[in-house]
Amino acid sequence: MERTVCAGLFIMAAIALGQQRNFVSCPIVRDTKTVPCFLAEYEGETYYLGIQQDITNAFHPPQLKHQVLVEGRVVAGPRVCGGIPLQPLSISVLKEVNLACDTLLPAEPGIDAPDAPRGPGPASRRPESVPEAGSAPRGPLTGRQEFTVLYAFDDDYLEYAGNQVVTEAAAYAKRIGASTVKVSGYRATTLLSNGDRLIEKAGLAEKRAQNIATLLRGLGVSHLMVEWSNEAEPGDGQADPSRRRVTIVVTPVVTPVVTP
Amino acid sequence: MRRLFLLVIFIIGIVLTLSAQYQDSFKVTWIEPGSGVTLPDSDAFDSTDGTLGVLNASGPVNTKGHPFFTPLGTNGRACVNCHQPTYGMSVSTTGLLARWRETDGKDPVFAAFDGSNCPGLPQDKESSHSLLLNRGLFRIPLPWPPRNADGSPKPVEFTIEVVRDPTGCNTSPKYGLKSAEPTVSVYRRPRPAANLKYVISGGQPIVLKTGMLADVDPETGKPSSMNLMTDAREPSLKAQAIDAIMGHEQAHEPPSRQQVDQIVEYESQVYVAQQAHIFGGPLAVAGGPPGLGPAALRDHRAGVLGDNDYDPVFGLFTAWKGNDYYRSSVARGADIFMFRKFWLRDAAHINSIGLGNPLKRTCATCHNAQMTGQDLSAGWVDVGTTNYPTWTEPSAESSDLPVFKITCSRDADPHPYLGRVIYTTDPGRALISGRCADVGSIVMQQLRGLAARAPYFANGSAKTVREVVDFYDRRFDMKLSDQEKEDLINFLEAL
Repeated sequence: MERTVCAGLFIMAAIALGQQRNFVSCPIVRDTKTVPCFLAEYEGETYYLGIQQDITNAFHPPQLKHQVLVEGRVVAGPRVCGGIPLQPLSISVLKEVNLACDTLLPAEPGIDAPDAPRGPGPASRRPESVPEAGSAPRGPLTGRQEFTVLYAFDDDYLEYAGNQVVTEAAAYAKRIGASTVKVSGYRATTLLSNGDRLIEKAGLAEKRAQNIATLLRGLGVSHLMVEWSNEAEPGDGQADPSRRRVTIVVTPVVTPVVTP
Repeated sequence: MRRLFLLVIFIIGIVLTLSAQYQDSFKVTWIEPGSGVTLPDSDAFDSTDGTLGVLNASGPVNTKGHPFFTPLGTNGRACVNCHQPTYGMSVSTTGLLARWRETDGKDPVFAAFDGSNCPGLPQDKESSHSLLLNRGLFRIPLPWPPRNADGSPKPVEFTIEVVRDPTGCNTSPKYGLKSAEPTVSVYRRPRPAANLKYVISGGQPIVLKTGMLADVDPETGKPSSMNLMTDAREPSLKAQAIDAIMGHEQAHEPPSRQQVDQIVEYESQVYVAQQAHIFGGPLAVAGGPPGLGPAALRDHRAGVLGDNDYDPVFGLFTAWKGNDYYRSSVARGADIFMFRKFWLRDAAHINSIGLGNPLKRTCATCHNAQMTGQDLSAGWVDVGTTNYPTWTEPSAESSDLPVFKITCSRDADPHPYLGRVIYTTDPGRALISGRCADVGSIVMQQLRGLAARAPYFANGSAKTVREVVDFYDRRFDMKLSDQEKEDLINFLEAL
């Protein structure tokens, strides 16, 4: 274990901390005594992506039989599960099946998954009342509010965290009797570390926006305005995941100011 | 030799004594529509190695004139034809074969419309009903493309071709995919009309597996659990009852509101579960596992997640650990169900919804709802029973089920593990949603009363619980030992 950490620190010295790593590769699953770790290789180096947890966790692991788009920043610290940790990290499972992505490594002494709330069996802890995914719970909301739903690359699937955001936005809009709820859909570009650009498919911004509008309507929200941008937003290789989004802007009714 | 003979006689004697003790008798009662019998509040029927308990929580049921037990359509069928208390409120092939012989195939359960492989076949021949008699399957004719509630066609992401058609129905100019009313015929088991408070619980406004709105109960406006039926096509028990009467009973007019209410009222108070084992005796006893027997189902709260070690899916079996051989085996089986880890791989709507592929977990990860072992969220999953190459059929050529080729559009998301061309015996949920990613996804079934209602899986491919266990062992490379398999089977048959 000690040897692994030392070797890790030596290699880390060769890799600039804070360096952004954006790449597409096959994920690697590393079994451990507890939950499996998910890794990916790029330019001869192995990066640690995360571990198996519940769907409510912010990290959703990649999938064998699919390539994964990794967008993350190298952070300080020892290797985890044999890989260099990245944080913040966004991973996107690419949709097309790729049978070459099929590496499942056995557990090995000295390679351990980090401590996790849940092991590979049934849960041992009673669920928290507050969902884990997404941002920290906000205080009581007032006034104009903007909610953001983030997506994986080239995807319109609403993940658990997005589900929570939409539910919260709908509850707020209904509570204040919003005058307008503006839904705006976007698609974006990812700048890879090798200089290539990946552009999300045409029509995705509209699909994202319409899907969210349908959900809001179904949750009882009215006064919806739906818009989308046909152009893919440019990528800078730094904050590209934040541009794959739908924003929901909830505006309260403006009460006219009565002057004496 | 004489000693062996005496030993055999002795064992038979024990078996008969125990059987008589824990069963009313080895009775198998087929309820005919309109028979007017009164069902007791508590009844017991022969099942594999024991008895099935059927509990009418509201007291005895007078079936005379009751719409569940009275034909409401044109083919002489009532709900009870396919939902017999004897068979855990479903039907078994054993019962169907006996019924065929007793009635010379005239029982309305064998109605040409869906009790035969295809209505155009000669109905007096046993071979025309082979899927029902051998696999317990009824024909489910579904419109293609699927329809919205207002009758308009839904957008679909794939084309469907018939590759093999052993029943002749899907290529029939009258009933098939290219008929005047394009129809896909799939063949499915009827699900138990019992323990239903569990089946309809857990509805959420947004379906976790799709990120889309759940269907809504048109009467209450509440989100459906989307766990009813093989493909979740009906959002409520009332809607399902009307669908069944208009389809399976071939009614020309929908049932009255009062009739529907009566049907739902009856089926909502029936609880079925195995209640005794031939060697193990009564299963629901003070101090024993709390989840066994029909009364436990009546008394337990619905909609509770059981994928945990403090309040597990079917309760704790601690009391039976180290007990006699049978009870110890059941307790070990419960532990395997809850704790035996294996790699869950390539299961659409499990691995593909953010849990990762593969997923190192246990049976209870998916079978997580307390008391039934269904999925607490909308439960359609492609575990691989209907899609090539993991399907349950020995080969496409030898299967007695139709085989379809699904080709997904380039614009659509492909099936997450099979891509854009899929061969399947039943596209499952995809025939309702029109989505490529749903091809082969089947709503998970409850695991209660299994010992009374073989065969298993929605396509009736597993003749025994052992074959179910063997499928999972093979599918997920679980490497179960013979002892583990026996324990798991004993556990499942005790539910």
